[in-house]
Amino acid sequence: MDTFILIGITGIGLGALYFLVAAGLSLIYGLMGVLNFAHGSFLSVGAFVGYWLATRLGPETTMTDFILAMIVGGLAAGLFALLMEQLLITRLYDRHIDQALVTVGVALVVGAVLGGWFGNDLIMFPTPLWFLTAINVGGAMIPADRVIYIATAVLLLIANWALLKFTRIGLIIRAGVENRNMVNALGINVRLAFSTVFFIGGFAAGVGGVLVSVYSNGVSPLIAGTYLIYGFIVVVIGGMGSVPGSFLAAMLIGVIRQFANYYVTGLGDFVVVILLAGVLLIRPQGLLGKVRA
Amino acid sequence: MLRWKYSRPLLALLLIVLAIAPLFTALPLGMPGLQQTMAVAFIWGALALTYDLLFGFTGLLSFGHALYFATGVYVSCILINKEIVSWWLAAIIAIIASGVLAALVGAASLRTTGITFAMVTLAFGEAGHVIVGRNFFNLTGGENGIALNADFIPQFWIGVFNTKYIYWTALLALIITYVVVWWVTESSAGKVFAALRDNEQRVQVLGLNTQRFKLLSFVISGTLAGMLGFVMLIAAGSAAPRFAESSVTIALLLMVVIGGAVTRWGAVLGGIFYSFASTRMADLTQQESFTSIPHWIGGPIAEPALLLGIIFIFIVMFAPGGLSGAYYRLRLRALTRKSS
Amino acid sequence: MNALSVKDLHVKINESHILHGVTFDVPRNKVTALLGRNGVGKSTTLRSIMGFYEGTGSIELNGKQILGMQTYKIVQSGVAFVPEDREIFSTLTVKENLLLAARSKDSQSAYKFIFGLFPELDTRAAQQAGSLSGGQQQMVAIARALLNKNEILLVDEPTKGLAPKLVTEVAEALTKVAEDSTMLLVEQNLALVKRVAQHVIVMDQGRVVYQGGPENLNDESWVHQMLGVSGGHK
Repeated sequence: MDTFILIGITGIGLGALYFLVAAGLSLIYGLMGVLNFAHGSFLSVGAFVGYWLATRLGPETTMTDFILAMIVGGLAAGLFALLMEQLLITRLYDRHIDQALVTVGVALVVGAVLGGWFGNDLIMFPTPLWFLTAINVGGAMIPADRVIYIATAVLLLIANWALLKFTRIGLIIRAGVENRNMVNALGINVRLAFSTVFFIGGFAAGVGGVLVSVYSNGVSPLIAGTYLIYGFIVVVIGGMGSVPGSFLAAMLIGVIRQFANYYVTGLGDFVVVILLAGVLLIRPQGLLGKVRA
Repeated sequence: MLRWKYSRPLLALLLIVLAIAPLFTALPLGMPGLQQTMAVAFIWGALALTYDLLFGFTGLLSFGHALYFATGVYVSCILINKEIVSWWLAAIIAIIASGVLAALVGAASLRTTGITFAMVTLAFGEAGHVIVGRNFFNLTGGENGIALNADFIPQFWIGVFNTKYIYWTALLALIITYVVVWWVTESSAGKVFAALRDNEQRVQVLGLNTQRFKLLSFVISGTLAGMLGFVMLIAAGSAAPRFAESSVTIALLLMVVIGGAVTRWGAVLGGIFYSFASTRMADLTQQESFTSIPHWIGGPIAEPALLLGIIFIFIVMFAPGGLSGAYYRLRLRALTRKSS
Repeated sequence: MNALSVKDLHVKINESHILHGVTFDVPRNKVTALLGRNGVGKSTTLRSIMGFYEGTGSIELNGKQILGMQTYKIVQSGVAFVPEDREIFSTLTVKENLLLAARSKDSQSAYKFIFGLFPELDTRAAQQAGSLSGGQQQMVAIARALLNKNEILLVDEPTKGLAPKLVTEVAEALTKVAEDSTMLLVEQNLALVKRVAQHVIVMDQGRVVYQGGPENLNDESWVHQMLGVSGGHK
């Protein structure tokens, strides 16, 4: 039973990481129709900026240091996302395939630059000692870092919900995901919403990047690729444009993957991929997505 | 009209030069090093063309094309190593296997379109990558792949001084691929592919079964990729999981866009250029003069993805037709200037 | 000066030349009906004024050229739009649909007017717009076009697909709205047009074939020839 809980919570912890990547991807596609292959780069930018800050903050990393690294990493990634949107994406307005292609190019360039500066090997990320302790949950000893991942993901989900429900820009985003043209027809410059969504997506991915670096025992430009693929899988299964859908799907996939890996090593990736194919063939709009024309 | 009247004869001349060049050891192409590089470049050029048939001609954005390439590599390698059949029969079986796999995956995936289709093909491609990487059934050699057992393939492909035979095999494979794709795209089926890319509804209104045509394009493309997988096995001497990675399909996408998605020779050029540039850049960064550049510039430049990514962004933003598109645009301008 | 002045408007959509030099004026503070058979380009004209399509020619709003401007800027210049098929946001509540449309802080009087016109919107404020009936959705679509000061109201087939009782309600609402604004109304329902319109434009095959008063609407042969209907409902 306690193994069950351990695998379950570890799975949810992993799902939390997937959600941090998927949330932004989902909104960006849902609102703008852009398949953002550079989303993994946001993760890397956040991870490396967070790493740089954490190493500057002294030999012992406290929780405050770590949280600061997360926030600064997130902001850096958010700004990078905004920059990319302003310089490249807006100029390709409504050329959706070209927008997706340009993000592929950005992903390559960022990967090359970071790989060139830092190398592709894993570099230990300064971690607070508390992360290495274990917490007793129902008899299972859960590594403390999982709790941080889950807490961060839940915080992001709540913040996202609040933004969408209570702010004007959130209203615009919700309406825009449903009918972008009509929002323009109401005299609202929907491009402001685009920039906001890109920034938020970048920020979430950047924060995720810092956490992923801890989970993966090190930061490296190569990790972004795997999480990008999983991000897409989560977004598609959860439903494009639906952040709660991504949350649900992310948890599901995290848990399934961990359980599959427990029984047969390496089975996890395979099972998830088959799950994706299955969902797409049976219910193409995903769990909580709307049927798009 | 847009084709320069000397382009066909010149192309024939180029092919002849490429074919006989390895015989002259004094020339650059007489050296095994360059022969190997060019052989690999030819394979990538041909592979890019198979992807172009799918994406540039039929408008199907697949992210799992590497699957069929890898199938060709692995099936032929396993069959040859285990001495199940002779090498040429192994090649044929591998090609058929790729085709059958493409038919199965295609039948399932083509029930979706657009982004969903891209994601489904990505899923199947990744599944393939996972299978070869994790050494299921102890067949696929896991992370390190399988080295081809040289005893079971003809002598003329073995040894440094026989590199020119590998070169010629790759060149032959490129020519075969080009001829097949040319024949398919010029045929009436090919016209339907192009119509599908532009407006699927109009094709359906004509009473044509769009599913069948898409599947045809998918299977031809996958089968050719399988053949090229076998050729790559000979050229590389081993089967490795990197042939099944999604980064392969992304590279093909880059090649096709850089070369120009709508033209055949553009895709081939894109593939050859990309492959050549990656290999050459890797060599360049080893040189003396390079190490004197400060690390923050030199580091990224050493990664081929940097230059390719920048070129790619530039082309997508400002020259969406790629190199061949730019060529035809200039040609059009020259022609209209002549007539006015 | 006319509220809206369109001169020689040519619009191509996906290679099809839809509008062939459309020219007309919309007088201020009157209701102008835009009539014609199906497919002659009435909706396209409205949507071109809104900036959804590119075109050549001239579109002047109170003397200011708006052809070529981005849609949201055109709307901010004072053009309000009630589209065919309503296009309200089904995942938002009624109140949120209205909130989204209100561009100034100072819309108290506008809200009062709307809720006076459509009291149901007040009672159903928290209801999800997707669960409203067709008639109620039409009310939302009209209401949100009234929330800001506008120079001209473009209304596209507001009674399309509505039951007769609702058509009457919408007609009454439009009449009240028309008292105080400039409206360009595309409508197939001739009874409604006869009731509210003071000015009529008829289009055929992407061109304007008549501009003038509504007196001819009572002439059945004229109506039959221009519009292919025999008066009254389609």
